[in-house]
Formats: sequence, C-alpha cells, structure tokens
Amino acid sequence: MALYDARRRRNRIVMGLCIAASGFGLAFLVLILAALLWNGLVGLTPGVFTEMTPPPGSSGGLLNAILGSLIMTVLGVALGAPLGMLAGTYMAEYGRYSKLTFFVRFINDILLSAPSIIIGLFVYEVVVVRMGHFSGIAGALALAVIVVPVVVRTTEDMLLLVPGPLREAVTALGLPRSYMIIRVAYRAARAGLVTGVLLAVARISGETAPLLFTALNNQFFSTNLNAPMASLPAVIFQFALSPYKEWQQLAWTGALIITFAVLALSTTARVLARQRIAK
Amino acid sequence: MSLVMDAPAAQSTTRAEASEKMSVRHLSFFYGETQALKSISFPLYRNEVTAFIGPSGCGKSTLLRVLNRMYDLYPNQRAEGKVLLDGENILSPDQDVNLLRARVGMVFQKPTPFPMSIYDNIAFGIKLYEKVGKRELHGRVEQALRGAALWNEVKDKLNASGLSLSGGQQQRLCIARTVAIHPEVILFDEPASALDPISTAKIEELIDDLSEQYTIAIVTHNMQQAARVSEYTAFMYLGELIEFDRTRRVFTSPEKKQTQDYITGRFG
Repeated sequence: MALYDARRRRNRIVMGLCIAASGFGLAFLVLILAALLWNGLVGLTPGVFTEMTPPPGSSGGLLNAILGSLIMTVLGVALGAPLGMLAGTYMAEYGRYSKLTFFVRFINDILLSAPSIIIGLFVYEVVVVRMGHFSGIAGALALAVIVVPVVVRTTEDMLLLVPGPLREAVTALGLPRSYMIIRVAYRAARAGLVTGVLLAVARISGETAPLLFTALNNQFFSTNLNAPMASLPAVIFQFALSPYKEWQQLAWTGALIITFAVLALSTTARVLARQRIAK
Repeated sequence: MSLVMDAPAAQSTTRAEASEKMSVRHLSFFYGETQALKSISFPLYRNEVTAFIGPSGCGKSTLLRVLNRMYDLYPNQRAEGKVLLDGENILSPDQDVNLLRARVGMVFQKPTPFPMSIYDNIAFGIKLYEKVGKRELHGRVEQALRGAALWNEVKDKLNASGLSLSGGQQQRLCIARTVAIHPEVILFDEPASALDPISTAKIEELIDDLSEQYTIAIVTHNMQQAARVSEYTAFMYLGELIEFDRTRRVFTSPEKKQTQDYITGRFG
C-alpha cells in the first residue's frame, strides 16, 4: 500500500509540473494575443484597407502593404509549391529507395530549419545584386525558397502515409506508376497535401527578414514586380521601430491582421487534416 | 460447383488432361540474401481453382506476388526460374509488367477500394485499357458489379465513395474492379481473412462462379476454405512445395507426413 501511495504522489507531482509548464507557455500566448487585440483593434478602421501607408505625422492605411504581401505570398507559393510537390513525389514514389532521396531529404531538413535571413541574403546576392535594385519578384523568390522545403517535407510524409496495399492494388490492375500517383495516391493524400501548402503559406506570410533584403518596402501603391514592393511584415518592422504614434498604431493593426490571417489558415489546415484522419 | 462435378471418379481423368494456363518451373525467390522460395514447380490449370495452404511464412504470398511480378515494386527482391503464362516466360526482362498485370489480376487480403466513387473504382481500369463510349462503359461497370454479386447492393448509389461500403462489399468491389478489365488469371491473397463469415461465404461462392471463366489461385489460412473452393491444393512449408495434388486427395489421403500433420492441425 505504501508503494501505491508513493506512486500516486509521484504521479501527482509530475502531473502538476506538466500542467504548470503548459500554463506558463499558454499564458504568454494569451498575453500576446490580448495585447494584439487591445492595441490593434483600436486602429482597425476601414481606412486601413483603403489607404496607403502615410508619411510620418499623418493618418493612412496599409493597403499597399497588404496588397504587396498578397502578391508576393501568392507568387512565392505558386513558384515553390509545385517544385516542392514534385520533389516530394519523387522521394515518396519513384525514388523511395534511392540514395538520391536520402541525400535530398538530408539537405531538405537543413533547408527547412535554415534561418530565413540567410535565404534573404542568398536571394539578395543572386537576384537583387544582379538586377541592381530591390524588387517584388526577388521577394517572391525568397519566399518560394522558404516554401520549397516545407512542401517537400509534407508531400513526402503525406504520400508515405498512403497505404502500401492501395499502391499495390493500383499496380495489380496493370496501371502505370504515373496513373497510380496522380489518380490514386494524390487523391488519397489530398487533404494532407493541401494542409502542407497552407502551412507553407502561413509560414511565409509572417516572414520579414527575407523581404527586407529583397523586396525592401514601398510607400506607394505598386503592383510592379520589377520595383520595390511593400509588405505587411516589413511595414510593421519599420513602423513599430519609429517614434511616430500613427505609425506605431498601424504596426499594431498590421500585426493583428497577419496574426488572424495565419490563425485562419492554420485552423483550416487543422480541419482538413482531421478530415483526412476521419476517413 | 466444382466440388460436385469432381465427385464421380471418371470425371477426374478427363480433368487431369486440362491444359496448363500457367506453369511454374524451378522457381526460387530471394528477399536480398534470404531465400523465400526453393525451386518450386507446379501448374495452374485453366479454369480451375488452385489453393495454396501452409503455415505463416511458408512463402505462399511470396509465390503469388511472383505470378504478377508485384515484387518488381521493391528493390532487392528477385526471382529465378521460369513462370510460363500460355507458354511464355513472364519473368523475362522483356515482359511488359503492366500488360502482364492486366492479364493476371490480383485481389488482396485487405479490401483496397480507391478513394473515388464506386462507379469510378470500376471504370478507372477499363478506361485505361480501352476507348469505350459512355454507354458501353456504363454497361461494363454494371457487368463487372453483377459479376462480383454486388450490383443489387450498390446500383442506387454508384456515386457514393467506395470507402463507404462495408468490408465485405469493399472486397467484392475490388473483385469487380479486377474482373472489369477481363484478366485471364486471378490471384487471391487471403481474400476473406478480414471478413465476417457471411461475407466470406459470399466471396467463396463468387470464386466458385468465377472459376468458370478464369484460372484462379488462392492463398488461404483457412483449410476448410481451401477444401471448399479449390480443385487443386498445394501445401507449402518453409519455402518448399511439399505436396501438390487434387484437393480431395490432399485432404483425405496426403502422400507426405508433413501435409497430414498440417491439415490435421498438429502444427502450423
């Protein structure tokens, strides 16, 4: 009986520690979200979505930054996601047992955890220096480089989850591998693949460092990919560090917009992932 | 049905002359360095059901996977010897494996419906091999589902997902899918081991019906099942073919002691 009591005591202590640790972590999250809502909601007026970033001392909005972020994010995913999916498909299907896959997976894992500022510098050297100026396309390229390893990883993982017997069943009908992959494996892993792309979008929509080195910023409305382009993270970075009240307010509001956009994406990804498991 | 026909002794002599659809000759199989099949030889007679029995790990499933070269999917697996299909060696490197698999269909242990509608599960394979019009395709799908005794259960929900069916129905869907592309040989790898007794009975009935048109090989752990559905039985043990004969003989007067021990439940 004494042994049993001791075990129960130990169990309570460990459980207490676990709860305290998760509470500690969660408290910060709640504090951040509360501060964002408190400071950001005040400035969330229609003007934020219709006006350009203002010069210091006057009022304005974030339209150019929101638009720039949208353009570069969409372009970055459009460039990076197909590349990542094809590479992931090779690794899970065609080259599952090859040395190349092993090698690519290793490199990909490194790339996955590479600091994004390094990727920004890389694109700066390779694209910006050569073009001679900052540009939206360079920003999109930097984001694409971040997207690729995320999508490679999720694509490979999701395809590996497709059961072997299903693969064999398609093969047993005499269907070539390309059919098997496109018509059956992709379909079976669809929710997971979409989740991977959504996670990549969420990942790049908050990236600042790679954009500072590539797209820089733009005070004005611009859809020209060959010119510097504004983005929410870069504007937040600039405005939050400024001494001007209006700019600081816009930075809070911008942060709120990004956070909730990412939250919405993650929630969608979660829901989709759950659907996959439910099946 | 075949069991009934088998009853008169006179019949078995004419049956013995049945031609060989497939013929396995000195087949050895290796997983890397491990030898899983040791110089096995036997025939698969045209339009007959041949059952493969034996304890787990004896190489029954491996053998089946050689007959449609499923092992090609994996590295470090290789086969030696010959497997003749209508006299041609399918192990030859020139063999188009996709064509082979269209001729030698396979049904797996676990039902594996594709993640698409019931209709598309069947139509999928047909569309790849043949250019058929919409109406003809519909007819072929119906014919395949009828052939697998599933039509009446699914005719009102052909657009429902194949995954929505019960386990037994899914397995019959897989059989229908295999039958739809008109193979010549069908390999069953423990097709009923994941199913309840009623579904199992349905599958067995189906196999019996199918044997009128197709040459069938079935791997099973269930000896009663082997006795019920097959005309010929092969007993395998540790990668070797111990005995191959008419099912009736294997189960009533086996030649080898190992066979006797296995079918009487003394090991395995």
